[in-house]
Amino acid sequence: MEIPSDLRYTADHEWAKEDQGRVRVGLTDFAQDALGDIVFVDLPAVGSEVAQGGPLGEVESTKSVSQVYAPVSGRVVEVNEALRDAPEDLNAEPYAKGWLCVIEPSERAQFDDLLDAAGYRDLTEA
Amino acid sequence: MSLRRSPLHSEHEALGAKLVDFGGWEMPLAYRSGTIAEHLACRHAAAAFDVSHLGTVRVTGDPATIFELLQRTLSNDLRKVGPGRAQYTHLLDPSDASVLDDIIVWWVAADRFDVMPNASNTERVLAALDGAGADVTARRAVVAVQGPAARETVTRVSPGAAAVERFHVTEFEFRGVACLAAGTGYTGEDGLECAIPTEPDGVAAEFWRAVVDAGAAPAGLGARDTLRLEAGLPLHGHELGPGITPLQAGLGWVVGWDKEDFRGREALERERSSGGPHRLLGGLVADSRRPPRAESPIVDESGTTLGEVTSGNFSPVLERGIALGFMPPGTREGTRVRIDVRGTELGATTTRPPFHRPRTP
Repeated sequence: MEIPSDLRYTADHEWAKEDQGRVRVGLTDFAQDALGDIVFVDLPAVGSEVAQGGPLGEVESTKSVSQVYAPVSGRVVEVNEALRDAPEDLNAEPYAKGWLCVIEPSERAQFDDLLDAAGYRDLTEA
Repeated sequence: MSLRRSPLHSEHEALGAKLVDFGGWEMPLAYRSGTIAEHLACRHAAAAFDVSHLGTVRVTGDPATIFELLQRTLSNDLRKVGPGRAQYTHLLDPSDASVLDDIIVWWVAADRFDVMPNASNTERVLAALDGAGADVTARRAVVAVQGPAARETVTRVSPGAAAVERFHVTEFEFRGVACLAAGTGYTGEDGLECAIPTEPDGVAAEFWRAVVDAGAAPAGLGARDTLRLEAGLPLHGHELGPGITPLQAGLGWVVGWDKEDFRGREALERERSSGGPHRLLGGLVADSRRPPRAESPIVDESGTTLGEVTSGNFSPVLERGIALGFMPPGTREGTRVRIDVRGTELGATTTRPPFHRPRTP
């Protein structure tokens, strides 16, 4: 299971990456593997305000529906439009082509409180 | 309660299958390639499914006696077929004609029927047969090979099995062991299902490996479900079950009206004479890839609730969400509807299943 060391994680299996003050968000390799083949991604609207731990979108696989939660509070400034027609990118490249959205965070400290790679690995191996 | 395991369990583990609890059995959900690749392998070439979790209830004895027993217990009319044939049929609730189980009967020989219920309904079928049936589920594995290349693939393993005609049953030998093949399946494709004895030990696993080595892609319950949905086939617990009659499910052909009597006949006659079923199973194709899901309300353009979705998923062939659901009998094909998916409206158009028809050979 791939868990890149330069990312931060939530206990709900989202990853977060700081990029010039903004936070790029996706689902972890562990999450995509557990979901199975992803067939539909419901992305948040650009401009919408999201709260840490609150709903960010939905990911549907052939077997189930899963909520995606915001790792940090803020405003959605970009979404991965390509996932609308190619949700399989989320299975193939969860940390690259399969990113979900970018959030302009309202509280910087929230990012620093997320799990690091070692903490997330402990969680998935528990 | 511990889960039952298929005789092919270690094969699935070796192939890296994700396992899931299904009807009390631990069975493959998907292998490494994933549900969609497995689905498309079945549509375009051949896929192998372990369906050992299906029950086998064996009824043997005097031909006339066991024929009469099945005729009055199950809904379809065995006089339409004969020994060496397979038939789809229902076990009905005598009080309201609810479908308690949908079943394939393998009429192996004049003095033997192998009745194949759904995994969780085996006890119910045994009870309905009043002690005349023996549960022999643990004595065999069942391997389904499905898809346009299924027969060609099985020919390389056993020409005898591959030759079985559609809805026929035939004996064949594999490694000197007597096995059964039926020209049946649950994918909408051509194909067959083979019952391989678990004794001598290892022969069933050897058959599975031979079929996979011959080119059939191992496929799990995930693909089995998306394939059956695309083919418009009902799943017990969704399109069939308590409160749902064969007439509501659009399966009137499963009812042997020409028979004198059978379980559920009176209740079905009441339904038929009171103007017919009050709802009918139909198909829905969504405007997007979003899968409609079971229990989502179906609403027409004027805001009237027509019914609800019984099964929904993503169709790998159409690349759209598709669903089966109950709607009023007069609902026209092509009607625009909205499906309420957890508070979001999903546009869809009604259609007559199947959503996909196999290429004719």
